[in-house]
Amino acid sequence: MKKKFIFYLSIIILLGSCHPGGIEYYEDTDVVYTNYDDSFDFQSKGVYAIPDKIVKLEGDLLEGEEPAFVKEPYNTQMLNQIKSNMTALGWTKTEDPADADLVMFPAVWTNTTLYYYYDYWCWYYYYYCGGWGWGYPSVSSYTTGTLLMTLVADGDEYIDPTRVWTANINGLLSGAYNSSRVTKSIDQAFTQSPYLKTN
Amino acid sequence: MIFGFLLMTAKSYGQQDSYMSVQYSVSFGTGDMGDYISKTSWRGMLIEYRGYVSSKIFVGMDAGWNVFYENKDYDTYTQGTESLSGIQYRYQNQVPLLATLDYLIVTDKALKPYVGLGIGTMYSERSTDMNLYRYELNSWQFALKGEVGLLYEINYSSAVKLAVKYYNGFKTNSLGNQGYVSVNLGMAWSL
Repeated sequence: MKKKFIFYLSIIILLGSCHPGGIEYYEDTDVVYTNYDDSFDFQSKGVYAIPDKIVKLEGDLLEGEEPAFVKEPYNTQMLNQIKSNMTALGWTKTEDPADADLVMFPAVWTNTTLYYYYDYWCWYYYYYCGGWGWGYPSVSSYTTGTLLMTLVADGDEYIDPTRVWTANINGLLSGAYNSSRVTKSIDQAFTQSPYLKTN
Repeated sequence: MIFGFLLMTAKSYGQQDSYMSVQYSVSFGTGDMGDYISKTSWRGMLIEYRGYVSSKIFVGMDAGWNVFYENKDYDTYTQGTESLSGIQYRYQNQVPLLATLDYLIVTDKALKPYVGLGIGTMYSERSTDMNLYRYELNSWQFALKGEVGLLYEINYSSAVKLAVKYYNGFKTNSLGNQGYVSVNLGMAWSL
């Protein structure tokens, strides 16, 4: 009976886990999310404005802290990619946001998640079950990066500035800036938003 | 390798005995499950018990496990005004647990074709990985199984079993109908 049990168990183990395969490279985690206000008539518009800096969200701007910005040359690379996509969809850029139908606000942020493991000795000897006091925990972490692009309308039909299109690009950061990942994802945000095209 | 284990443990198979069988399964999703994962599942196994009722009829239990996996290429998924692009890793685990009834069409030859039915439950676990998130749908479903197969007596003590089974787990609140065909090959030995 024991022999048969071991036999069954060995087959189960041989078959592998219930979640075979999965993410191998950092770019495998890249996703692009877009959403829009379907009551907004993009086709009848055609002029947009965009700041010449991409804000990096950290700290608290509402508390009066100074905003940080993306460093060069990454700032210009990303802005040029956004502008070229807007041009391809028929939009004309203006320097004065007061003349624009829509204003594009790009922003980035990173988010680091830390994992602490400090209790894994405990199974061996209860004396080690004290937690933090018994030495350094094992730590691992991962960081994700996000590029947010928002098109805001504040024309006559809106009392307050209103978000009519949002694109959120997110992926696991490798520690080195990879321009092709960012470029590809910006292009994808516009590719999956054909309703932005103007006449 | 698995087949080697099967041969090693095959003890005896008798025409009028209850028997156990262990089988390797290759499966293909159909309907909603086939749309979700179109790739063939090469990870699967089945353990069967069959109790002798008459020379033509056996009743018993099936317990199986089939793992489906597909890495979907970068694609865009749209719902309403929202669109999401990325690579998806799709997993589905099926665990059928069924009471069964088999009817042997031929009993006096080494090669015994049979047909079978099963009724019971099937646990379906569907996971979709995208970005760093996993979206899961799990459900215990009422399940039916239809089966055709062959038992081939190698000698008095053991038999090879080849079976094609169709499982259907019926729709629940969290998951639609889940169906798949599995082709099973294994050994049977009497108890």
